[in-house]
Amino acid sequence: MSGFKRDWNGNAKKRDGPKPPAKKVVQNQFTPMFETLRDELDQHHDRRERIIKASRDITALSKKIIFALQRIRKIDEELPKNIQAEIDTRLADISKLLATIAPEIQGINRYRYARSLMCLEELVEALTFLHYLKTQTLITPEQLTPIMEDLVRKGITPSEDVAMTDASEPAAAAPEQPLEKETPKVSLTQDDYLYGVFDLTGEMMRFATTSTALTGTMAGGGAGGDEQPRTIVEDMHELGSFFEMLPVGQGNRFQWEKKLEVTRQSVQKVERLGYDRTIRGSERPKGWIPDLSGGDQAEEE
Amino acid sequence: MPPMIDPSLFDQIKSKIEEDTTVRKELEQIVDELHQHVSFTQGLLSKIHSTPRSKYATLLPQVEEGIKSQVATVGKLSAFASQYPYYKYNHKWTRPLQDSLSTCLLFTWLSTHTLLTPLQLATYYSVPLNLTAQDDAFHITTEEYLLALVSIIDDLSRLAMNSVTLGDTALAVEISAFIRDLHAGFQVLNLKNDILRKRVDSIKYAVKKVEDVVYDLSLRGLIPAAGAEDEKKGE
Repeated sequence: MSGFKRDWNGNAKKRDGPKPPAKKVVQNQFTPMFETLRDELDQHHDRRERIIKASRDITALSKKIIFALQRIRKIDEELPKNIQAEIDTRLADISKLLATIAPEIQGINRYRYARSLMCLEELVEALTFLHYLKTQTLITPEQLTPIMEDLVRKGITPSEDVAMTDASEPAAAAPEQPLEKETPKVSLTQDDYLYGVFDLTGEMMRFATTSTALTGTMAGGGAGGDEQPRTIVEDMHELGSFFEMLPVGQGNRFQWEKKLEVTRQSVQKVERLGYDRTIRGSERPKGWIPDLSGGDQAEEE
Repeated sequence: MPPMIDPSLFDQIKSKIEEDTTVRKELEQIVDELHQHVSFTQGLLSKIHSTPRSKYATLLPQVEEGIKSQVATVGKLSAFASQYPYYKYNHKWTRPLQDSLSTCLLFTWLSTHTLLTPLQLATYYSVPLNLTAQDDAFHITTEEYLLALVSIIDDLSRLAMNSVTLGDTALAVEISAFIRDLHAGFQVLNLKNDILRKRVDSIKYAVKKVEDVVYDLSLRGLIPAAGAEDEKKGE
């Protein structure tokens, strides 16, 4: 308290009545209510923080899987052993991370934290790419569901119990726990899937370019010949038309248009490859790599 | 050799996108309707700045009518939105809903000098408040309640000034006490760097504005005797 107040002439101003007691600690009728609200907000912020952390790691691991897959040169059910081994360890790490956040993103919280879960898009990209390199087909959402469930299940280890008794929400979590124990699922939204597949086209383009350059053949099924089995050029065309024909979602028109444009470019790069192969494939010296700088940075986040 | 893209996939995804578009359009209609009721009620409420308290008896019932229309629309919204994941579309209505909540909070404070708690407010709107993670349905979120509260603080700080102009110094003093308590309440929160933090930061200006009004009053001995206990202390 700073002395006393003065009036216009600088004389000490009289207070009417006794001096009020020293300032109360901020405690009033509203304090309990605000304390409850604070706890709710804290819970939300803490949960969000945990999700973001895990999400960042999952994104990094997914990218590593994609890089590993880019070292493959042909489409084949059987991946090279060293690459398969690397992917397995990365997926195991992803499993653990997914299992820790799975209980946090059940029900209403799935969309609440959707923006903090961009990692799922990246993971879809890795999984679709893996699937493509093995089977030369586009994985469907239905095929992805069991894979995701499997990942989460594998990530749950006995030590997970300790992780779940996180101090932040003892009361709220208690009734839900039995349920979650049985089926903690990390569901993919349609956007996770579609945007993951958008990015897949970029990976396919890169794969087509390197594999064509290094093996001298256009990647494709079976014997890898030019004519009979389907090649990656056709696959790219099909994916391109697939996206062109889909109606644009209202929610994220801008992002959609952007991704579609990148996909168009990828399709054209691959079709150019197909043309080059057809017209002068055999003239090209083995090991010659076309200049890839310039076009493909758009997909990188 | 299986085809690149499963033939049923396209139709499946296309129909989902179309459904999403339909939902959004429907929501926009309801939200528009809510918006209209809210604007009307806000307009009515803006009359408090020029209406002495003795005339509240005719003004407030009109406001209440406006709020009732809002509540009805929110009911419609709640029924429709609860069919879909809440946070998928929440951004479409959260602003008008906040505005609606603040008209209701302001109305109750003006009529009874009480603050509706989140639970009372949710009850007034007949919508749920806190949901466990398992029920995904329409409700009023903590953030929405708090943001609505911030905006009535703004409004009341303006009213404190105007009430003095209208000769009702007692009201200014009452508002001052209320805002000071709310300000203390907001300081209990741990805020992150988000919209709520930004809005809450503005409360201090409202506090200052009202304290200044009360200071002016006390300086001139215009504080009515009944509320005089609460005289402003210079800090």
